[in-house]
Amino acid sequence: MHSPRFVAAALTPAFLFLSCFYLYPILFNVGNSLTDTTLFQLKNGGEFVGLANFAELLSSPDFFRVLWNTVFWLTFVGVSTRVLLGLALALALNSRIIERMKVRTLFRILILVPWATPPIVAIVIWRWMLDARVGELNKLLLALGFIDQPIAFLGTAAWVWPALIVIITWNTLPLMALSFLASLQSLPEELVEAAAIDGASPLQVVRYIYLPHLKPTIIVMILMSTFWTFNNFVYVWLTTGAGPGYYTNVMATEVYIKAFIDGRLGYSSAVGVVMALLMGAFGILYMRIVTQRSRFGGVM
Amino acid sequence: MSTSAFRLGRSTGMGLAGEALTVLYVLLVLVFFIYPAAWIFIASFKTPETMFSDGPARFTVANYVSLMHTGFGRNMLNSFYLCLVSVLISTAVSIAAAYCFSRMRFRGRNILFGAVLLGQTFPWIILVTPLFIFFARLGLLNNHLSLMVVYIAVTIPFSVYMLVGYLEGIPVSLDEAALIDGASHLQILVLIILPLMMPGVVATATYSFLVCWSEYLFALAFLTTTELKTMPLVLQTFFGDNVVEWNHVMAASVLTTLPTLLIFLPVQSQLTSGLGSGAVK
Repeated sequence: MHSPRFVAAALTPAFLFLSCFYLYPILFNVGNSLTDTTLFQLKNGGEFVGLANFAELLSSPDFFRVLWNTVFWLTFVGVSTRVLLGLALALALNSRIIERMKVRTLFRILILVPWATPPIVAIVIWRWMLDARVGELNKLLLALGFIDQPIAFLGTAAWVWPALIVIITWNTLPLMALSFLASLQSLPEELVEAAAIDGASPLQVVRYIYLPHLKPTIIVMILMSTFWTFNNFVYVWLTTGAGPGYYTNVMATEVYIKAFIDGRLGYSSAVGVVMALLMGAFGILYMRIVTQRSRFGGVM
Repeated sequence: MSTSAFRLGRSTGMGLAGEALTVLYVLLVLVFFIYPAAWIFIASFKTPETMFSDGPARFTVANYVSLMHTGFGRNMLNSFYLCLVSVLISTAVSIAAAYCFSRMRFRGRNILFGAVLLGQTFPWIILVTPLFIFFARLGLLNNHLSLMVVYIAVTIPFSVYMLVGYLEGIPVSLDEAALIDGASHLQILVLIILPLMMPGVVATATYSFLVCWSEYLFALAFLTTTELKTMPLVLQTFFGDNVVEWNHVMAASVLTTLPTLLIFLPVQSQLTSGLGSGAVK
């Protein structure tokens, strides 16, 4: 269909909002990243310093630790834990034995609880669960005799990342599992039965029938959770405050710390620009996948 | 729940061990999901003295009463009103845009659609400083309007993505038939397509609501007056560095979670099937 007037009228509101509160701040950041503006001389703006902020950032060992924390721990470990546990959960929930037990509807309701819990509440819950003095996890491990001394999970370098991953997984696994389950339930039964009659083992059924069918959903979910997780500020900030020390500092918290604690707005913008560039590159990949599969306007 | 979906284990013989493992895994995940939330819920009705002790608990609603005396009712109202208005506008704006991208032919469509999708990938944290300066200059800090327009903007990319996905499942021949009968594009969208895409609209709006409801970062930057703050911000202030007001933390956690749980219940399957497939049908 074709109607330039309708298109203009229908797209203007959305693009007005996006230009003012998305595009403009991003461009502002790019400009700001080339200056030495500080929080205390906001009115005048800073001096133009060219790429000095980027040069400092790229020669700073701290920055590479932040990058590693963000890319490896937060994003890679965080997302893959969620995807693998989510796949296992969806397959388990779809299995014959769970169906016979008639618990699936109950489970679908209960699984909503961690999903509907706002991250801030999830963090409150788990800061208490993992607390060294009154936390339930320490009580349990002590009672079972696995440990002699309570562990301060969120204050010990060896435990703090696994603990953060547990919190994020608790909050985000339900969405992952339910999306996979929804996709599994659109699979024609005949396909799997035919394979079974031909003597396929359960593992072969998973490998050759379930996984290929789930593939588009898995790809979209991996891409989307990568954006959400990589860009996330609250999980790390409200759980550990980037600590102990700066041990769990990630890019989002680094942008915040540099701007509002160190007051270096220019440098903070440079970190933000690097962050946006990394996700932008990832986003182009995502866009290609989404637009390639969709023909817009055709009946899929 | 579809009855035609194949269940692993029916004819492929998972074996007793496999079945036992499956049940064990599901049970473990269930305990992991429910135990912490159930504990907070129960603790919110315990007196602060018996909250953490292993001894017998004494139950009370005093935590909730005391929470209301801090003015939390006002903050609940702020959250509801802010999220509701933002989601209504954001969803309406996104429906119009999604319809265009799904049905209309025009120059630059792929680039514009790509730009909207790309919006999902940008970290909100980099929007905070520029928008803070922007609203400070306009005198709109400590004003719900600033938060509202930002919530509308940040929920548009995802909403458009979801809605285009739903629209792709509605045959374009419907639009074409109505066009031949002389209906305008606006009439087609509002009278024919909108009713058909309603389940998708509801699911998308619910998701946007949850995003606004739990949003912390922009609210933290833009609001400093206690009476204007939203629930997540106030909840965090009870969780002080030195003193934690556990009675308020517990009660506020429950009150912040219950509304989202209740609105999620009816739309969960719509949302999960829509998100995974989205524009990828």
